[in-house]
Amino acid sequence: MNQNTDLLTLRSVSKSYGTVPVLHDIDLSIKDGEFLTVLGPSGSGKTTVLRLIGGLEPLTAGEIRLDGQDISRMPINKRPFNTVFQDYALFPHMTVSGNVGYGLSVRHMKRKEITRRVAEALELVQLGRFADRFPAQLSGGQRQRVALARALICQPRLILLDEPLAALDLELRRQMQEFLKSIQREIKTTFLFVTHDQEEAIGMADRICVMQAGHIRQLGTPHDLYYKPNCEFVARFFGENNLVPGKLGPAQGEQRSIETALGRLVCSISDQPHLKAAPDGASAFAAFRPEALHMADATDSGNSFSGTIADLAFAGSSTVATITTGGDAAQRLRLRMPSRIDGSVLKSGETVSLCFAPHEGHLVLA
Amino acid sequence: MNALPRPSTIFLAAITALVAVLLYSPLFVPIVSSFFTISHGNVDWSSPTLATYVALAENHDILAALRTTLIVGVCTVILSVVSGTLLALYYHGRRSGRSFLQFIIFLPFLMPPIISGLALLIFFREIHLERSLLTVVIGHTVFVLAIVYRTVLMRLQSMSRTLVEASYDLGATGWQTFWRIILPNLSSAMVGGAILAFALSFDETMITILVTGTQSTLPVRLWAMMRLGFSPDINALVALILMFTVLLCVLAARFLIPRQMATERT
Ligand SMILES: Nc1ncnc2c1ncn2[C@@H]1O[C@H](COP(=O)(O)OP(=O)(O)OP(=O)(O)O)[C@@H](O)[C@H]1O
Ligand SMILES: [Mg+2]
Repeated sequence: MNQNTDLLTLRSVSKSYGTVPVLHDIDLSIKDGEFLTVLGPSGSGKTTVLRLIGGLEPLTAGEIRLDGQDISRMPINKRPFNTVFQDYALFPHMTVSGNVGYGLSVRHMKRKEITRRVAEALELVQLGRFADRFPAQLSGGQRQRVALARALICQPRLILLDEPLAALDLELRRQMQEFLKSIQREIKTTFLFVTHDQEEAIGMADRICVMQAGHIRQLGTPHDLYYKPNCEFVARFFGENNLVPGKLGPAQGEQRSIETALGRLVCSISDQPHLKAAPDGASAFAAFRPEALHMADATDSGNSFSGTIADLAFAGSSTVATITTGGDAAQRLRLRMPSRIDGSVLKSGETVSLCFAPHEGHLVLA
Repeated sequence: MNALPRPSTIFLAAITALVAVLLYSPLFVPIVSSFFTISHGNVDWSSPTLATYVALAENHDILAALRTTLIVGVCTVILSVVSGTLLALYYHGRRSGRSFLQFIIFLPFLMPPIISGLALLIFFREIHLERSLLTVVIGHTVFVLAIVYRTVLMRLQSMSRTLVEASYDLGATGWQTFWRIILPNLSSAMVGGAILAFALSFDETMITILVTGTQSTLPVRLWAMMRLGFSPDINALVALILMFTVLLCVLAARFLIPRQMATERT
């Protein structure tokens, strides 16, 4: 198991249903043993990617390679992948152990061996006591775990999970997230996990692949996506962000300036060659997180500007201020600061001087 | 629930009761009167008896008719369940041609039986097929196919498509998927459809009269007996057929009303 070798590669994969294109020229590499999450809004093509990999749908163009071998035309029942379906798809006429053992028994494994491995798999998902129940007699979380055991028992190279937690309530979802993650660490199988919940993605994934409208917008660690979004969509999709439009100025080392309605702002461009290469005057956004914005004091030399506090919202551990900046191109910005027991130092309606440090600001091409 | 004012509820209840009595009481008359003798065209209510049933059991014509009915019923069930299920499987999830096929399948069921019967009769004559039990079975199958097709198709449609996908995904072949996943999930619909088909075949009269050869089924026998006059064993026969049909329908409902598979097993 080597996290750096590619298990599965999608090359220029496209998919159309009839004449409607759904995926456009997707390139994606899944590393052996990683937990990769596909994240995107509804209709962005996440399920379609999973179905193409699983072999449930044929490709329109491109190819899928497993260990370097083209498997685009390999039939679904020959692929060493197993799927956990969103509706679980447990066989209603079979018991839990019948369901879990199905993948082995269709391969004509010996009955004794099946019994042993089913017991093992049920132990792993902590369902040993439920072996003789029917799916209808299980709770949602238990069904979920049966579906997982049924997929695991075939020892697939890759497990595909399509929003497996979407039907569970919040508390159970948290538990299952941890549970899935711990199982993945234990068996070290590669997981491809689809979700439209960004918190879930951030919490579980080694890497996240963000999709929108049939394109992969960005692929990277949760940290990368949060702090170095490469496009407006990702910058807005991932948590709260302040985006101020402007025109790029010249680059200086690891920083570059941008002319905006708030004046000239300087942002970091480290490790992002495409930002260094972008021409002067190109449209872009200065992006900075609400927690990066703070009240300017005399020593601050960074990007400072003034704004009026339009609203203050207490959110437990933090307080969020909505700030409007003056001028023709008025901006609404958000500022997040730790809450204080003696109340906020800010007052609604007050005009304040604000700033963020250049290394906490990023640029996103428009 | 009790949104209506009280007088109108009572009124509605009364109407419902009246309709029920008017519609269904004729059904009970033959059952009740089959336990009494008829003399000079009047029912003699004074002494209940099973005599009519004994007479029925000794009537060889009727026993022969019963045997014919059962043979026809079983053959019809086998033919219609196999072909109805195959048609449903073939047309499930297929758009083109499906509505036309359904129209064809439902036509004999919806048309007046005499029209279906005559059409069949002409058809058999054109292809020089002697009228016999075979033609009766074919006639019945054409008639009940719609029911079996519809029941199986509805179950197929309510079956999640991902079940089949999951089976393939777990490495099963098409054949394994059919035998181990699709068929077990259809079986109760097939049994329910079979019972309904049997009940329909058991009662079918018009088409049978038109396409049968020399042998007659129970309802046809009954029809013939009535033309000769109203005898007590007719009551008994009607009562028996009625009870049997009701039993079949109750059975069919048991299999067709959706339930969780699990509760059925435990
Ligand atoms: N069988 C199909 N026939 C035609 N169009 C389809 C089919 N399946 C999906 N689509 C279309 O493809 C696009 C992507 O669908 P997909 O199911 O992959 O989205 P998704 O990202 O999984 O969304 P969700 O989060 O809602 O599950 C959608 O616009 C959808 O309407
Ligand atoms: Mg989906």
